[in-house]
Order: sequence, then structure tokens, then C-alpha cells
Amino acid sequence: MASMIIETAGLTKSYGEIRALKPLDLTVPEGEWLSVMGHSGSGKSTLLNLVGGLDRPTAGMLKVGGEDLLGRDEDGLARFRREFVGIIFQQHHLIPYLNALENVMLAQYFHSVPDEAEARSALERVGLGHRLKNRPGELSGGEQQRVCIARAIINSPRLLLGDEPTGNLDHGSTTMVLELLRELRVEERFTIIMVTHNQEVAAWGDRTIYLDDGVLVREEKKLVEG
Amino acid sequence: MNRRSWLIHLVFRALAHRAGRTLLLLAVLAMASSLATALGIVSFSMGKRVAEEVRKYGANLVVVPNSARLDVGSGGLNFGVVSEPAYLRQEQVDGALTKSGLIAERSKHLRGALRLGSADILVEGVDFVEIRRLFPWWQLQGGWPAPGQVVVGSDLASSFHLKVGDTVELAGAGEPVRLRLAGIVATGGEEDGLLFLHLPELQKILDLDGRLSTVRLLVPADGVSLRVRAATLQQFLPQARVTEVRQIARTSEGLLAKVKLLMLLVTAVVLLSAGSSVTGTMSTAVLERSREIGLMKAMGGTRWELLRIFAAEALLLGVAGGVVGYLLGCGIAQFITWTVFGVSAGITLWYAPVSVGVSLLLALLGSLGPMISVFRLDPVRSLRGE
Repeated sequence: MASMIIETAGLTKSYGEIRALKPLDLTVPEGEWLSVMGHSGSGKSTLLNLVGGLDRPTAGMLKVGGEDLLGRDEDGLARFRREFVGIIFQQHHLIPYLNALENVMLAQYFHSVPDEAEARSALERVGLGHRLKNRPGELSGGEQQRVCIARAIINSPRLLLGDEPTGNLDHGSTTMVLELLRELRVEERFTIIMVTHNQEVAAWGDRTIYLDDGVLVREEKKLVEG
Repeated sequence: MNRRSWLIHLVFRALAHRAGRTLLLLAVLAMASSLATALGIVSFSMGKRVAEEVRKYGANLVVVPNSARLDVGSGGLNFGVVSEPAYLRQEQVDGALTKSGLIAERSKHLRGALRLGSADILVEGVDFVEIRRLFPWWQLQGGWPAPGQVVVGSDLASSFHLKVGDTVELAGAGEPVRLRLAGIVATGGEEDGLLFLHLPELQKILDLDGRLSTVRLLVPADGVSLRVRAATLQQFLPQARVTEVRQIARTSEGLLAKVKLLMLLVTAVVLLSAGSSVTGTMSTAVLERSREIGLMKAMGGTRWELLRIFAAEALLLGVAGGVVGYLLGCGIAQFITWTVFGVSAGITLWYAPVSVGVSLLLALLGSLGPMISVFRLDPVRSLRGE
């Protein structure tokens, strides 16, 4: 039986009077691809931010990789993120004045030491070996997202978080990005938690949970093929 | 590439990306630094220049024996009257000057009366080398006297129908001495009525070896008040009275202090407004880059690492602004000193660290507020564009 990479119990997040996430009990086994679905304001991104150490819960227990994140201060959470997490954003969030290679090396800088050869190899793995010196403005949406993936995996994270990573992509690019993630997961053995609005995208995961108004309302497990 | 090289690379890229804002910040820092540099160099040059100007007015401190009622003065000012004979000991004055650490040009004087023909005249023994340094306005007809020669004041020369090359016979308590007249001096002051001879010769004639009646000192204007200088010397000369030549001393010191204060205030105002400008520009930059900062935090950058990036940007701008400001400031200082004093400010390499320091301090202080914003910025909210 796989060990749990994420364990939450009574996990709650409130913004003043608004309860974005109501007490949530969730476990995610190591290596799983978990899709999180729900309409806008259902608490999907809040959950993602909490497990990624970007935000702090209001109450409850949150363990990621066996470590209680509640005990960490702001800089402690930053260190957790760089050691443990890779994030793929819907809007890519690439630094406009750095080229593709440098954008990947920036993640290395915060993790340890920038290594151009490793960064180059990461970009080659996502099929961008020929676009190393291009700045984000010179890349298509799909290419930018692939740079974002290379940046997310460069430090070999145990947890890869995707916040609507295909939300801004056309069908072809979406498929390409999802296939890439599937291949990388096999090679890198990381856990994926992906927030999406799209049922087809969610279906790429091993399991899908549905949130509504901060509450986990439904859970679907993919049938094992064969 | 190691972390430090990468940091520098990142900072250069960020600054180059916002070339317009970078140039604006550089211009503000360079302007502020150049003004501080120019005013600092001019202020320093002015101090030297005023000190040189003050030299033209002769001594600014006078040492007389306690018991002698000898008023002080210089040039056209009143020197008063010796009411009773009292003398300073030369070695005591020299010792006191050494102990007090006072660096000053000096002239030693011994005054007395001798007979010239049938009349008593006032004579003064001096060191003519010192006289030439301290009283450059003396107008001399003829030449400076060699040993055995004298200089006579123009009024006295007229009264006694003396001319250069004549021999005068002076009688004291001992045997009369015959001395050749080397020159006639005109100062417009009481010197015109005196006869001057070499100090050791007069000390011998009057049998007053090592005795002086006055020592005049020219203390350069170096920022320390003359009154303080006089008081310091006075401590080591309890048997004498050390007095300022007030008019000259007060005027030069007061004027210099006021002009320096004015320059300091102007510099402070400029630095304050430049600091506000830096703060404004940096704040806008931080606001514009909040997503970028949020992303860096999301990737695992700690608050201190983010601060280091922004501090490095400020540091680089500060140093560059300081170097440009120093070069510009030297040019401005040259222009001012040349226009106002007619002299060059000279090479003032020692001021370069001050220029860079001013710019650096301004850049860092101006960035303090924006850097606190960087420190506090919430990555989730900034990535959402809030």
C-alpha cells in the first residue's frame, strides 16, 4: 500500500467571514494524479495553495510528505516549496525579461545552484531544445506552458501542483501538455494535484474530487484498465 | 554559474528590462551625488582659499607678556602702547606652541628705544624671513637687510632724511652701533615710524637675550574657532596673554561657517527630494513587479532572498549613480571654483568614496519602504494580480 503524501483532517480556510474551505479530510497516496474539480469559488485553488504551502490554513491538520506545515513560518514554508513542490500556473507566470533557459534556472537559483546543463536538459525533455534563448513574449501559449513545466520539474519535486494548467490552451496544446505530464510522472514518480474546470482534463487523473462551496461533495476513481 | 554570479546576472537583466526607469533612477542618484560632491569640494576649496585670503591680513593671534599693557592690532589697526617693560621668554613661547599642537606661522618681535642722532626712536627687532611670510603687504624700497643692516619706516626716513645705502648710528646702553640702511618700508601703519633690525642684534644691543615683547601668530582657518585655539595656547603660557585679532578672525570664521551652513542646507534639501524621488520610483517598480515577486516567493524564494535581489539592484544603482555623480560633481566644482575664486579645485580623488557613499545611502534609504513591501507581499494575492 502506497504511503500518503498528503493528509488533512478538518482542514479549514477562512478569509474573514468567508469560509473558503470547510473542514476537509483528504488523503492523497504518493504518486497519484488527483484532479480537483468544482465551479468558481468552490475552494479548489484554496486547497491547492494550502497543500503547496502558499497559504496557511485557519484550522485543522495538514501534513505533506509526513511534515506538519502548520508548524512552519513564512520562510519555512518557502523552503518547503522549493524542496518539495513544483507549480504550473494557468497564466504561466514566466519572468518576461528572462529567456526560457533563464526562467528554468531561476527555480534552480532558489533551490540550490543554477545549472545551465540541467536546465537545458529539462527544456529538451519538454520539447523546447530549440527555443532556449527565446523570451516568453516570443513563445506560443503551449510553449510557455512547457517552459513552466520544465521550471516546475527542474528541482525534482515530490508534488506537482497545476492550477488550471491547460485553461488557456487550445485542444492540441492541452493534449500535448497532459501527455507530457503523464510521461514525466512515469519518469519522475511525482504526485500530481491538478485543479481544472474541464471534465476531459480531469479524466487524465487517477481520481477526481469535486468541491462545492468549500466542501468535498463527490469523489470518482478511474477504473484500472485491463 | 554560482549563486552570486546568477544574482548579478538577474539584477542586470531586471535593470536592463526597465531601462527607462533605471536611467531615471540613475539620473536622480547621479544628480544628488554630483551636487553633494560639488558643494563638498567647493566647501573644502573655499576653506583653503579663505585661509589663503586671511593670510593677506597677517597675524590673527597675538601673544604679549601679562604685565605689559600692550594693545594688539595689525596693518592699519591700533597697536597701543607698551606701558612698562615686560618680556616673553622665547623658549617658553616655542615650548608652549609645541605642547599645544598649534600649527601656525609666527613672527617674533622685540621692541625698544634707541638714540638716532639726538632723538629717541622706537626700534623693533624682527626675523625678516618671518616678516616677509606674515606681512606680505609691506612695500619695501631697496632690499631686505642682511645681518648688520636695517630697514626703516618711510615716515622715520623722511624725518631723518634717510635713504637706502646710508649708514645709521644707533646708541643704546652700551657702545653705539653703525648699521647700513638696506630698505625703506611703507605699510600705511605704525611700522612707517619704526626702525627694524635683526632680532638677535637688537637683543644684544638691549642686553635682552632670548627676550621678546610680542609674538604674532597666523593660525589657518581650519574649522576650529580661533577663540578655542587662543584658549588652548593660553593654558601653556600662564605668564602671557593670548589675544585674537578679532575683526579678521571673526569675519573669516563667521563668513566661512555661514556659507558652509548654507551649502549643507542646500545639499540636505536636494538629498531629501532625491530620496523621495527614489522612493516613489522604486515603489512603482515594486508595484509593477508584484507578480514577479509573488512568483519568486511561490518558487521558494524566502523573504530575505527576495530582499537581497532588490537590495542588490539598489546597491548597483547606488554605486553607478555615485561614480557618475562624482565625475559630474568634480566638473561642477571646477566650474564654480574657477568662476568664483579663479583657481582650480584640483584633483579630489579622496572625495570619490563620499560621492559613492551618498548615492548608495540614498538608493538604500529610498528603497527601504519598497523593500518592506517586498518583504510583506503575499504570493497568492500577488499572483492573482491583487
